[in-house]
Amino acid sequence: MEDSRSDDPNLNPIRNRNPNPTPNPLSTIISSAQVWPTIDGPLGLTEEASVDYARRFYKFGFALLPWLWFVNCFYFWPVLRHARAFPQIRNYVVRSAIGFSVFTALLSAWALTFSIGGEQLFGPVYDKLVMYNVADRLGLSGLA
Amino acid sequence: MDRNQRPRSIIDSLGEELIAILTPVSICMFTVVLLVCILNSDPSSSSSASFSSIATAAYSESDSDSSWDKFVGAFLNSLVFVAAITVATFVLVLLFYLRCVKFLKFYMGFSAFIVLANLGGEILVLLIDRFRFPIDCITFLILLFNFSVVGVFAVFMSKFSILVTQGYLVWIGVLVAYFFTLLPEWTTWVLLVALALYDIAAVLLPVGPLRLLVEMAISRDEDIPALVYEARPVIRNDSRLVQRRVWRERRSGQNDNDDVENRTNRNEVVRVVRSAEVDEEHVGSSERAEIYVPLIDRRPDQAENSETFLEGIGLGSSGAIKLGLGDFIFYSVLVGRAAMYDLMTVYACYLAIIAGLGITLMLLSVYQKALPALPVSIMLGVVFYFLARLLLEVFVVQCSSNLVMF
Repeated sequence: MEDSRSDDPNLNPIRNRNPNPTPNPLSTIISSAQVWPTIDGPLGLTEEASVDYARRFYKFGFALLPWLWFVNCFYFWPVLRHARAFPQIRNYVVRSAIGFSVFTALLSAWALTFSIGGEQLFGPVYDKLVMYNVADRLGLSGLA
Repeated sequence: MDRNQRPRSIIDSLGEELIAILTPVSICMFTVVLLVCILNSDPSSSSSASFSSIATAAYSESDSDSSWDKFVGAFLNSLVFVAAITVATFVLVLLFYLRCVKFLKFYMGFSAFIVLANLGGEILVLLIDRFRFPIDCITFLILLFNFSVVGVFAVFMSKFSILVTQGYLVWIGVLVAYFFTLLPEWTTWVLLVALALYDIAAVLLPVGPLRLLVEMAISRDEDIPALVYEARPVIRNDSRLVQRRVWRERRSGQNDNDDVENRTNRNEVVRVVRSAEVDEEHVGSSERAEIYVPLIDRRPDQAENSETFLEGIGLGSSGAIKLGLGDFIFYSVLVGRAAMYDLMTVYACYLAIIAGLGITLMLLSVYQKALPALPVSIMLGVVFYFLARLLLEVFVVQCSSNLVMF
């Protein structure tokens, strides 16, 4: 039976919490483990595998995949919330978040300029770039 | 420390599991109905659109044929389609038997990518065209690319965010179902009935391919590499917390040994997954309109084999309910086809399908083995569609026009 408050500031305050005090040896084993790094909780990854996954998602995101960065942040949301819990994972997740924000800002700036500016801003290039014309030209929209 | 919660009854846990599987099915059906209503609303293009695929290989319907001709043609189409699916399923069984699991997983990821990029792209283009949304092609391509690649990750990797994986599976179901609704009408109905019968045969007969697949999977204690929707396992407070895919113990007759703490929780049963495979038909180019998608070359005679769609319902390794993606697809096809007639038939078919799914889940809990999820729902759905169309509509229209009932 452990006290969840510890005087030692270096100890992770989360680690020793025992939220599920049933007299079941298996649940005490599981519940005395730390907070799970993924949003799925006990159904998700363990911490060691999480580092690997976070790193891989971060690296793959550079292939023009900001959505993957977002999914990375979403999946490891507890890492972002508990600031001191998982230093290695947090590194990658924070960088993914920054990458996602930057990319989204750029992409939405371009998309909004395009859609709001329209033909007045772009001139004849607008007709060449806009999607429904491209689809018509390539015959993609003839299905229905 | 005492627990002051009231003990969870069977209704709570059963209700939670039911909702966990009914919600994605409903979302899938709703989205397909929405797409059908939006994209088919202009009457000029709907009836003449033909698209050739393996399901219309034997006969392509035209409005001038007599009813008997249409019926025979639809029947032949269904035979061809079911035969193709049977062959594909047996190929899958063979590959699984030869332990080519890596190839199957790769194929699964590849087919998910094709569905998401190709079909998803087409639907998005149709929507953009319909609403004249001023998006440019660069942004569109980036978004589509992102969406598809992350979808492949979700399907391919086993330990991914549950919510994202479930969302992508539902989305794949929606896309394939929408394209199935573009088949001619008689073919669709006869095909649905034929697939329901095929599902019974494939799952329950001892020689059926799905049964063989599931038995092999059980005996080897592996997962079948396929697109299956697994509901999030319900964690009960009074049972032991189980990590997913850790325990797969067969249920022995030791239900009274509750004090044996290391046993599985009472939800842990024989891990059975029912699968039938549905060949995703290849969307070939139609006779009139050229549909050329730069990504893939379309050949109308070749079936695009994303055969890893499963039909059937079973219990996952942690006791969660697993429903094959083929079920999602065909339920949605039924409802989508009903939506092409009127929304009244949609309501009738939706309720029939949900009732059928509930019955199937109850049978699942009674029999504790994998069951085909299509037949009950499809039969009820088809019966209710025709009843609503032939009988209910007349009644409701008469009542409304005489201001008796709205």
